[in-house]
Amino acid sequence: MALDIEKVKEAMYKLVKDSAGMKKWKATDLHKACEELFGDEYDKRGIGKDAIKELVEEGKLVYTYFGGSYLEIPHKEGAAND
Amino acid sequence: MPVEKKYETPLLDQLETGEWPSFVKEIKAAAENNAMANDLLGLLEQSYREKIGHWKHGGIVGVMGYGGGVIGRYTDLPDKYPAISHFHTMRVNQPAGWFYTSEALRTLCDIWDAHGSGLTNMHGSTGDIIFLGTRTEELENVFSKLTAAGFDLGGSGSDVRTPSCCCGKARCEWACYDTMGLTYYITNRYQDELHRPAFPYKMKFKMSGCPNDCVASVARADISIIGTWRDEIQVNQEEVRNYAKSGLDITKEIAMLCPGKCIEWDGNEIQIDNSNCRHCMHCINLMPKALAPGKDRGAAILVGSKAPIVEGALLSSVLVPFIKLEEPYDDLEIWEVIENMWDIWCEEGKNRERIGEFIQRVGLGNFLDAIGLEPQPEMVAFPRDNPYVFYEEYFEEEEDQ
Amino acid sequence: MSDAQPKRLTDIGPPHYQKFLPPIIKENYGKWKYHEILKPGVMVHYSETGAKLFTVRAGSPRLLSTKKIRIYADLADKYCDGHLRFTSRHNVEFLLTKEENIEPLIADLEALGHPVGGTGNAISSLVHTQGWIHCHSAATDASGIVKAVMDELLPYFKTIDLPAKIRVALACCLNMCGAVHCSDIAILGIHRRPPRIDKENLPKMCEIPNLIASCPTAAIRPSQYQGKPSVEIDEDKCMFCANCYTVCPALPLNNPLNDGVSIWVGGKVSNARHEPMFSKLAIPFLPNNPPRWPEVTNAVKHIVELWLKNAKKHERIGEWIERIGWPKFFRLADIPFQKEHIDDFKHAGLSYKRSVHLTYM
Repeated sequence: MALDIEKVKEAMYKLVKDSAGMKKWKATDLHKACEELFGDEYDKRGIGKDAIKELVEEGKLVYTYFGGSYLEIPHKEGAAND
Repeated sequence: MPVEKKYETPLLDQLETGEWPSFVKEIKAAAENNAMANDLLGLLEQSYREKIGHWKHGGIVGVMGYGGGVIGRYTDLPDKYPAISHFHTMRVNQPAGWFYTSEALRTLCDIWDAHGSGLTNMHGSTGDIIFLGTRTEELENVFSKLTAAGFDLGGSGSDVRTPSCCCGKARCEWACYDTMGLTYYITNRYQDELHRPAFPYKMKFKMSGCPNDCVASVARADISIIGTWRDEIQVNQEEVRNYAKSGLDITKEIAMLCPGKCIEWDGNEIQIDNSNCRHCMHCINLMPKALAPGKDRGAAILVGSKAPIVEGALLSSVLVPFIKLEEPYDDLEIWEVIENMWDIWCEEGKNRERIGEFIQRVGLGNFLDAIGLEPQPEMVAFPRDNPYVFYEEYFEEEEDQ
Repeated sequence: MSDAQPKRLTDIGPPHYQKFLPPIIKENYGKWKYHEILKPGVMVHYSETGAKLFTVRAGSPRLLSTKKIRIYADLADKYCDGHLRFTSRHNVEFLLTKEENIEPLIADLEALGHPVGGTGNAISSLVHTQGWIHCHSAATDASGIVKAVMDELLPYFKTIDLPAKIRVALACCLNMCGAVHCSDIAILGIHRRPPRIDKENLPKMCEIPNLIASCPTAAIRPSQYQGKPSVEIDEDKCMFCANCYTVCPALPLNNPLNDGVSIWVGGKVSNARHEPMFSKLAIPFLPNNPPRWPEVTNAVKHIVELWLKNAKKHERIGEWIERIGWPKFFRLADIPFQKEHIDDFKHAGLSYKRSVHLTYM
């Protein structure tokens, strides 16, 4: 059976959430972790890319930039003025 | 709506004199109707007094779904300059070659007057139209009006940055391929990579139509596509003689400065040993009416240039010595090479490591192995001069002989 | 204009350039045969179809108000059916088919304060960065220096008979958003004080392993502050690249007492004659002296005038210096040579003089 995109999204979200504040995830890091989790079924150019896109469009993850682009749980940014 | 002048700016005022157009006049013009531009004047005057900037780097604002195109900025003096407490930049993908109609420019101005500072850069260093300064809550408004007008955001962060090119065949006889056509194609082919950062760091494409390299692709692009030709320079001897008659010293100014030393002038005809031509453009630049690049035109593809951060500045180096770049672009083999490069760089590259630095770290030979290209002498200025070769295999005496 | 929200579109890419090309360009796309520079800032391109396209190029401060852009648009309507473009060095170009419109357009541009020039063997507009107008890591301002320098160099913008072209660029820190490292003259903002650590905020703002990894000289080490993970800096190892500050906003390097400007010379990107070259350090440090940076403008003017006086025809600054040698450049320019001029980063040894090809006069 083909890999379910919801499963991939759930796994990615958990990776990011569980390490918030300790490790920042780049898209490439999430792909590597998912390759370990799901093995050959995981295609970073297909389902992997789509999963990230959906997570961002659903507002569960957000792109951030601090000298490199990362995917994080949405939060108020440190530098923001009210 | 008119905005009242809030600040005296004695230092900035000194930059309104002189004949070069003044950016201070531009900010003051915008400040007549725009509170953000008005507060920017006050803040900049303070920076000029104190000799320090007053901006904080934001890293999270953007339009929904994209990871690039918006640069977050906040002043560190929000109480004093509340109108620029947020002052985010939006990068808008320029039309290839930076051609506009007056109507398109007015549309962009209408959007920016309604939702931003009224200040722009035409253009930013990478090539985008820069909308300079707006608030977080305005980003989606600007974006929806831009897309309704047929414009989209450009790149920022670890993504494909907005590709840019010279005017190419639109207005230049030296264009060896259609830079604007190819730029439009690349920008559309890589929309996802442009808007959703998935790389170790930025990835810039620049397309120059000839070796004069008017968009500085050899110095400023991870992938530099530079037009060239591989047959004979086209010569009109009559026009060569006309240049000589009008005072051009062909021996001194052309033949002696030719890096391949492949040009001779006998006072009547110019002879070019094309097999030693380095395609530098000097002779063609000096006699555009008499000489032209050959007819078998295409491009060389170089990789890896960048500014100093982190491991030092690099110029791009040759990856493909010559390729024909003709439509249909979908059929070109180069996309597979580029995508293979991205794969290995994503797999092994470090955060903030540009592809040029990555190649330096792993070695060009290993990099070629990984992307499936054969080494060629055109890829190096000279072969190695040190004998420490990393041979990967060796023979063993066979045991059961 | 209605504020009603249209349907949300994404990934549409830029508008197709063909929508914006004037008819003469559509008809002659790829058919141009040769061009001439009629006078500073004015070019004519001839097509194999017999068509002639005139271009009038004017300088711009790059930072433009929408008001000015609307004036450009009006000028384009008045003289060239609404068609214009911008160049890679921020100039604006009007694309005319009627030769008789050239002079009135130039008169309007000059009256507007936008000088016409920048073509051929001249200086073109400066490529530059944002500086104090918008950047968090700027070691100097950009627009102010550019304005002051171009006020001085304007005669060389409005000419076409310098020995070669000259390209000047400015970046307000080592990040070089303006990628100035291959310019005839590069003006580069530099920091000279190691980052101060905002220890209170660092744990909130930054991820420490990433921060430590960001330092190219391994000058950042883990430490503790009030029982929490923090970092300390080996200041002797800091080369002021500010890579750490980009990764972690709690390590600012900006400092009015120590920030300033360095001057680099002899780079080029075109392949004409000599291969592309990096710019090399000429002056390690000049102070930030707003609003007109006299030390910087004088230094740039001095180098340009020295080149004008000494270069042979078609020699760009780097080609001229390569012919005469760097020691002679420093002697002629009367710039003291000091420790900072000698490279001490990677591959530094390649820059040492490894022969006795020396000049003594």
